[in-house]
Amino acid sequence: MSNNINARCVVTGLGMINAIGKNVDECWENALKGTPGIDKVRSVNSDACYAHLGAEVKDSDIEMNDKVDRVSMLCLQASKEALKDAGITDANVDADRMGVIMGSCVGGVVSIENYIEKGEKTEDINKMSIASIANHVANMAGAKGVVTNIGNACAASTMSVAYACELIRAGVGDVFIAGGADAFASVPFAGFTALHALSENACSPFNKSNGITLGEGAGAIIVESYEHALKRGAHIYCDVLSAGISSDAHHITAPRPDGIGQMYAIRRALDKSGVDKKDLDYINAHGTGTAKNDEAEFLSIHTIFDDNNDHLSVSSTKAMVGHCLGAAGAIEAVYAIKALTDNKVPPTIGYTAEDLEALKEKAGKIDFMPNDMKEKEMNYVMSNSFAFGGSNASIIFAKNEGKMSESETDEDIYITGLGIVTPVGNGVENYIEKVKNSEKISSNNLVSELGKEDFDKFDIKLAFYRKLDKLSTMQVVSGIEAINNSGFTFNDDNAEDFGMIIGTGDGPITTVYEFQDHISKEGTQNGSAFNFPNTVYNAAGGYLSIKTGMRGYNVTITNGNQSGLASICYAANEIKQNRTVAMLASGTDENSDVMNKLYTQLGLVGTSKSDLYADGNGMNLSDGSVTLALEKASQADSHNAKKYAKIAGYAMTHEGVEYGTVEGSDAGLLKAVEEACKDAGITADKIDAVFGFGNGIKEVDAIEKNVYAKVFGKEMPVINVKDYVGEARAAAAALSAAHAALTLSGELGDTQDAYFINGNNVRKDKVNTAGFNYVLATSYGVGGSYSAVVLARA
Amino acid sequence: MNEKELAIAARIKEMLSENLRIPAEELDYDIPLFGDGIGLDSVDSLEIIACIDSEYGVAMTGVAKENFYNITSLTKYVVENM
Repeated sequence: MSNNINARCVVTGLGMINAIGKNVDECWENALKGTPGIDKVRSVNSDACYAHLGAEVKDSDIEMNDKVDRVSMLCLQASKEALKDAGITDANVDADRMGVIMGSCVGGVVSIENYIEKGEKTEDINKMSIASIANHVANMAGAKGVVTNIGNACAASTMSVAYACELIRAGVGDVFIAGGADAFASVPFAGFTALHALSENACSPFNKSNGITLGEGAGAIIVESYEHALKRGAHIYCDVLSAGISSDAHHITAPRPDGIGQMYAIRRALDKSGVDKKDLDYINAHGTGTAKNDEAEFLSIHTIFDDNNDHLSVSSTKAMVGHCLGAAGAIEAVYAIKALTDNKVPPTIGYTAEDLEALKEKAGKIDFMPNDMKEKEMNYVMSNSFAFGGSNASIIFAKNEGKMSESETDEDIYITGLGIVTPVGNGVENYIEKVKNSEKISSNNLVSELGKEDFDKFDIKLAFYRKLDKLSTMQVVSGIEAINNSGFTFNDDNAEDFGMIIGTGDGPITTVYEFQDHISKEGTQNGSAFNFPNTVYNAAGGYLSIKTGMRGYNVTITNGNQSGLASICYAANEIKQNRTVAMLASGTDENSDVMNKLYTQLGLVGTSKSDLYADGNGMNLSDGSVTLALEKASQADSHNAKKYAKIAGYAMTHEGVEYGTVEGSDAGLLKAVEEACKDAGITADKIDAVFGFGNGIKEVDAIEKNVYAKVFGKEMPVINVKDYVGEARAAAAALSAAHAALTLSGELGDTQDAYFINGNNVRKDKVNTAGFNYVLATSYGVGGSYSAVVLARA
Repeated sequence: MNEKELAIAARIKEMLSENLRIPAEELDYDIPLFGDGIGLDSVDSLEIIACIDSEYGVAMTGVAKENFYNITSLTKYVVENM
């Protein structure tokens, strides 16, 4: 077990599939040869579009599996290859300490298209979300550690590799399958068509730069603590050093022309990895082939390395495999690792003799690797990924042990601010009043409403908010309220020290569904340029960073309802590992006609208003956004912030069951509670109350009843926010922690309504909260993921 | 504006309101759409181009900026190029 911020993390297995190969060897050999994978698209009808090219994986290269979306097929295939390559077996890994972090941009959007165009089949519903991807991989691998997905569009899977290493260094796992996947689909094709961002010819990064060519595929990397790899005698490819993650806070689709966000990510990765600028040997660039990306990345790379490095090679493998969106980071990380370990730099193809002359003028001393690979001895390589929402990620791989200089703080972390958007009204004061007056919901299918009053209150102008879909609007309002409530401020000099983790169960599925529905009716050529930016899961976090100017760590996670509590675990870790001094942690989910239709078809929505822990009538579908501001003690004290509660401990676990179900995953919750208490340094008997997740669905309620009886061995008071706001999914998970913090700080008075649960015996009564010292917030995700957070009186 | 122009202007206003989520009450025919007025940007202009193309068969890709100034100028361009 590592638990050392600079502990060595090593790569012990690789897996990859893309347009030029079905495994790492094929993809690598073809990249070195400069084999183009770009051809006329087959899976999308582009007849009436101005561009027709794509880099699709041959169907014959894919292990077909009709139980999952194409994105999961790709991800499973790369993950299996990586596991085999690493020699991971049940016998040499402790399943509890193996996790899965996958990145994706559009997730199961092919299944959304299938649902709409092929008879609205129930079996397609659970394939739609990004959330399913890591669940399928975890089940295949038997992983029971931290399981989640990162939804930061085209930077998602660089972030997933970085997060896996952060978790190993935090001591919560030994082995992670990290990477990402995306499948070729109509939504991104139509969206980039509408934005006029597709190239009519094969994309030509750093050359003609007149647009992208979409691709598809998956990359999987086994990252492992060095000690663990050594102990089991694994083959080690290389070390993973530090990463830099930042947010542009500039524009929802375009990168900052001044490259500030990108340069922060690159410089941070170099600095914390202990790699001097002069020693970096190769960058696998983001290099999409759009003018805006290429100009910004050119500027960033030239600014940092000109005059500091006389041997840097830079290439974009997208010229061969296309832009694989959420898979791009993982695929390019695998290419960067292969380059490092084989001492061969893959080329950027597509340069004519004339182009080569033009390149000479703009390249300076940097070798942009036109057309041909070259052999050179390498020690340090970097992979860059930049995304919609202004997301930037840069990561460094080293042939040998590095000289990392990350640091940790042992300061306590406090909840210092709250922002609450719910169907029963917005704002912290409103929520406090509702709870104090025991005002429970009285109907099912609830929807939050935001209007001019909310926008005026937070100075959000029409020109800004009209761009946002409902999910993003809720997120921006709850985020700004949490910042104001906490009272922290930042300026241009320290905006990188403030970040956010957004958790969402269903993300922008409503917007994606509506976008797909429109192009199903009107044709791929008629996608909406206006709506497309909101189809990425990190749009909400992107808008919040643009509105607030927060330029630090910015990640959106998605793995069911518990994403809203896992966001707190993730955010606290970022503060603990000194990447930020303050973080927002959010849970946000949207209800809509689309979501109601899908959940109703799955049989999960109650036929009327349901009671919790009762007859299992189904959930009271709802929505909202809840944001918690977290700060380390010194930062909170610097502005005399109110401390609602201390984050005493947390844990994230997985007990894999079929995706879409929860029954049989009790052990996951049990372990989450035990581990969170252990992390807080207390025994379970110190917990005074639980802020639970039961939602009226029989199997979900049963898990809480069973597990609390086991852990606490007595009748336990359980307070449930869903009585007040409905099943707001990730928003309810974050609200559980917010409600717990309000309880500990005395804001909700001395008594509250609670369920007293002892196995199947459930009674309702008032609970005296005045003496509470430690409370526990819990949440679940379908497929068997759980998060638990212990809060202590501040 | 004559009757035909008024009908086109009304339809453009409706499209801006529906597709770009601009409250109809904010939109008179002379308010500047970009910059300090409504604050539209390049992504919005792509949506306007797509709408006008599909509604009137008038291609506005690459057309000079002043034609996008307000609803009146868009209407004028559509009428002259239908």
